Amino acid sequence: MIIQLHRIEVVSKKDMEMIDITPEMDRLVGASGAKQGIVFVTTAHTTSSIVVTEGVECLERDIPAHLERLAPKNPPDGSYGYYHNRLLDFDGRLGYNAADHLKSVLGGIQTFFPIEDGKVVRGGRQRVYFVEWDGPLARTVFIQIIGQA
Amino acid sequence: MKGGIDFHTHPVLVREMIARHPELAAAAKETFYCGNNFQPLEVMLLEMDIAGIDHAVVLPIDATTSRNATIYTNEQIVEVCAMSDRLIGFASVDPHQDSAPQTLTHAIERLGLRGLKLAPAMQEFYADDRLAYPVYTRAQELGIPILFHAGMSWEPRSRLKYGHPLRFEDVAADFPKLRIVLAHLAWPWVVDAVALALKYPNVFLDTSALYFDNPRDFLRYAMTQQVPLTVFERSLRHQLVFGSDNPRIEIKSMAKAVRSLGFSEECLELIFRINAEKLLERRP
Repeated sequence: MIIQLHRIEVVSKKDMEMIDITPEMDRLVGASGAKQGIVFVTTAHTTSSIVVTEGVECLERDIPAHLERLAPKNPPDGSYGYYHNRLLDFDGRLGYNAADHLKSVLGGIQTFFPIEDGKVVRGGRQRVYFVEWDGPLARTVFIQIIGQA
Repeated sequence: MKGGIDFHTHPVLVREMIARHPELAAAAKETFYCGNNFQPLEVMLLEMDIAGIDHAVVLPIDATTSRNATIYTNEQIVEVCAMSDRLIGFASVDPHQDSAPQTLTHAIERLGLRGLKLAPAMQEFYADDRLAYPVYTRAQELGIPILFHAGMSWEPRSRLKYGHPLRFEDVAADFPKLRIVLAHLAWPWVVDAVALALKYPNVFLDTSALYFDNPRDFLRYAMTQQVPLTVFERSLRHQLVFGSDNPRIEIKSMAKAVRSLGFSEECLELIFRINAEKLLERRP
């Protein structure tokens, strides 16, 4: 039985950004020795997501833009606000990322794929993205591999 | 508008410095009271890029007497500034210590730091207490600005009473050549702080105020409702500097909020760049 937990660091460079981490996932699975099994990809943060979609630049624009429409950082004047925009005594600062938490909930924080013959099995157009909602920040992504040699 | 200076940042979360000086982790969490994750310096620089900010003033706080802690020594500020030419280092001294004026001279003349940061609430002294006057005298002689924490403080042990703007009036009046910046618009006492700045041309304000809602709505309240925006635009445009208070809030968010208030382009240029550049000039 092979059980491995890897922590990879992803540094986002923008407010919102989709970063393709498929190569890192594939590499770690390939190096793990697991021939059959499962790989889990999970973000360690509550203002980011793990999203699976087609790896094209247009969607890398459309997906953040759509989530921003669903959960805008600054809601339209006079419409509504966020309870999270308050002093967070445990952080010593004001929470100004309610919308980023909501985007994380909408986007999800995890995905998983099967492993077969030592490789990740995914659709031909599927890519795994770490999605930053509150960047730039240095982030941690867990990649756990569970399988048999 | 081209470039800009963030006049108010604290490098307490810089990961490289935590690795070199592990005691800074406790200073960040327990004294400065910031619970966020440590981040590589690169992240702060990226955020400045997004905000259109070229340079940032990085601030220490010497709270040796009141907290038995320093949130960055002056030497550590020099060290972090050596990592990027986009950082401008300020010094801090403990006004309770007799050696404070000498320490300040060393920090400016030998270490090359550009101004002085004092945080009366955390350092537990009133700005108009004569115990601090030797420090002000030396700062005036050196021709450097003092950035004072003013108004509300987040840290549980820091009392608001030390932050009232009227405690700074004697300093402004007794040291007319000394340029002092009241941080955070001295919120909630914005009207008092504005009165001080209107009366004393050596009093400046920074924009690093955020205590509820979000940067846009908070600054709109403080800078258009508590005091009309026209007062800042017409009367105080040469006495206002952009500050974010990073990492208590992101630089990008505060910069966007200040730009959204309705200032003229000329005034934004003063707030974001020109006024800070002038403050950083030594005027002994």
